[in-house]
Amino acid sequence: MIDKHRDNAEHNHQYGCPVCLTLNPMSQPRCRTCGRHLHLIKSKSIQHTIALLLTSIILYIPANLLPMMYTNWLGQQTTSTIMGGVISLWEPGTYPIAIVIFVASILVPIGKILTLSWLCLSVTIKKSDSRRINLELYRFTELIGRWSMVDVFAVAILAALVQMGQVMSVYPGTAALAFAGMVITTMLAAMTFDPRLMWANQPNMHNKEKQNAP
Amino acid sequence: MVNKMKQITKENHVEEAEATIACHECDLLISLPELEFGQTASCPRCNHLLTRRFLGAHNRILALSISAFIFLLFALPFPFISFTSQGKEFVISFADSIVNMALMDFFSIAILILFTTLLIPGACLLALIYVLISLQRKRLMPYTHQLLQIVFILVDWNMAEIFLVAILVSFIKVSSLASVFLGLSFWSYVFFIICLIASLSLLDRYQIWQKVKQHD
Repeated sequence: MIDKHRDNAEHNHQYGCPVCLTLNPMSQPRCRTCGRHLHLIKSKSIQHTIALLLTSIILYIPANLLPMMYTNWLGQQTTSTIMGGVISLWEPGTYPIAIVIFVASILVPIGKILTLSWLCLSVTIKKSDSRRINLELYRFTELIGRWSMVDVFAVAILAALVQMGQVMSVYPGTAALAFAGMVITTMLAAMTFDPRLMWANQPNMHNKEKQNAP
Repeated sequence: MVNKMKQITKENHVEEAEATIACHECDLLISLPELEFGQTASCPRCNHLLTRRFLGAHNRILALSISAFIFLLFALPFPFISFTSQGKEFVISFADSIVNMALMDFFSIAILILFTTLLIPGACLLALIYVLISLQRKRLMPYTHQLLQIVFILVDWNMAEIFLVAILVSFIKVSSLASVFLGLSFWSYVFFIICLIASLSLLDRYQIWQKVKQHD
């Protein structure tokens, strides 16, 4: 029993527009509804994702080692890294903020890099049994990726706000640059990753699943 | 407002099938029926939300976008955060956080903040207002297609709500040193974000492009 509606669009030589969802024949260079350039699912997209992912991993190292923020307090200068910032906030009254910063600037980036690496790997080796979990992971990374920027924005606001000359002033550190670059490259990596690759080359997957079900 | 969600699978509505689309996440071909107000269609294979239809969605998006844009304008000139320490008052406006980063030789961060928290959401709102006004007329105004396309590309880079969380984080950090006050611009920015998120959550790419198609 072959139900052609269960097929992938790619197998029917059709392509869904990412902007307006209109189905276009593959020969068409631009979408007929919105005029967007159509890029077909290519195995090349995975190479873009891997390249961006490697860049973000490289940027993640200086982002953690270099100082994120300099604080001048009564003539004394202290530097703090991302992890140092979390530790200094870990005191009664500011636990929630410490948790927000820890999740946004440590857990989320590491989780995102690991998830995207796993997705690239499972697509390349054409592993299909963990597809459903992979898809949930992909949706989650796309959703939370932007939130890592909280720390960079907070440093920018603090540096503008706390400028009391000799008493206390705050300056941004180089890690802010590396960290912002890391967030942008992971966002781009998540955007270039095509989840349809997980379902490619499986024309009648659904029917097979039905047959296998008890 | 809570709309009752209803999942529709292809099987139940084959006879009403209107258009065939491909799921954006798993590339499955799906015959999409005409939705009733408040209904939601998701992909039967990967459960990806395909489209949903709300009553009067486009009028509500237009109203919310206009209010969001007005709130955004009000967020600019007034004080954002202020605090007093040893008799001196320190006040920053929205632009100060950006200008200050540029002055400290962090141009790229300044540009990043300028774009993700101000220019991109502002441009999206203006483009949406233009497109929705254009849809209410008999004939589409020029550049409607291009502007709507730009909205869907830019909207992923909107980080206004993240900036709001960052403000609250720095607010709590500084409040241990001095008494901090949130200014008029801050509250205006909060309302801007509420309207922006409400407007974007009503925006459905399939429904709005169908509307544009009817005008072609």
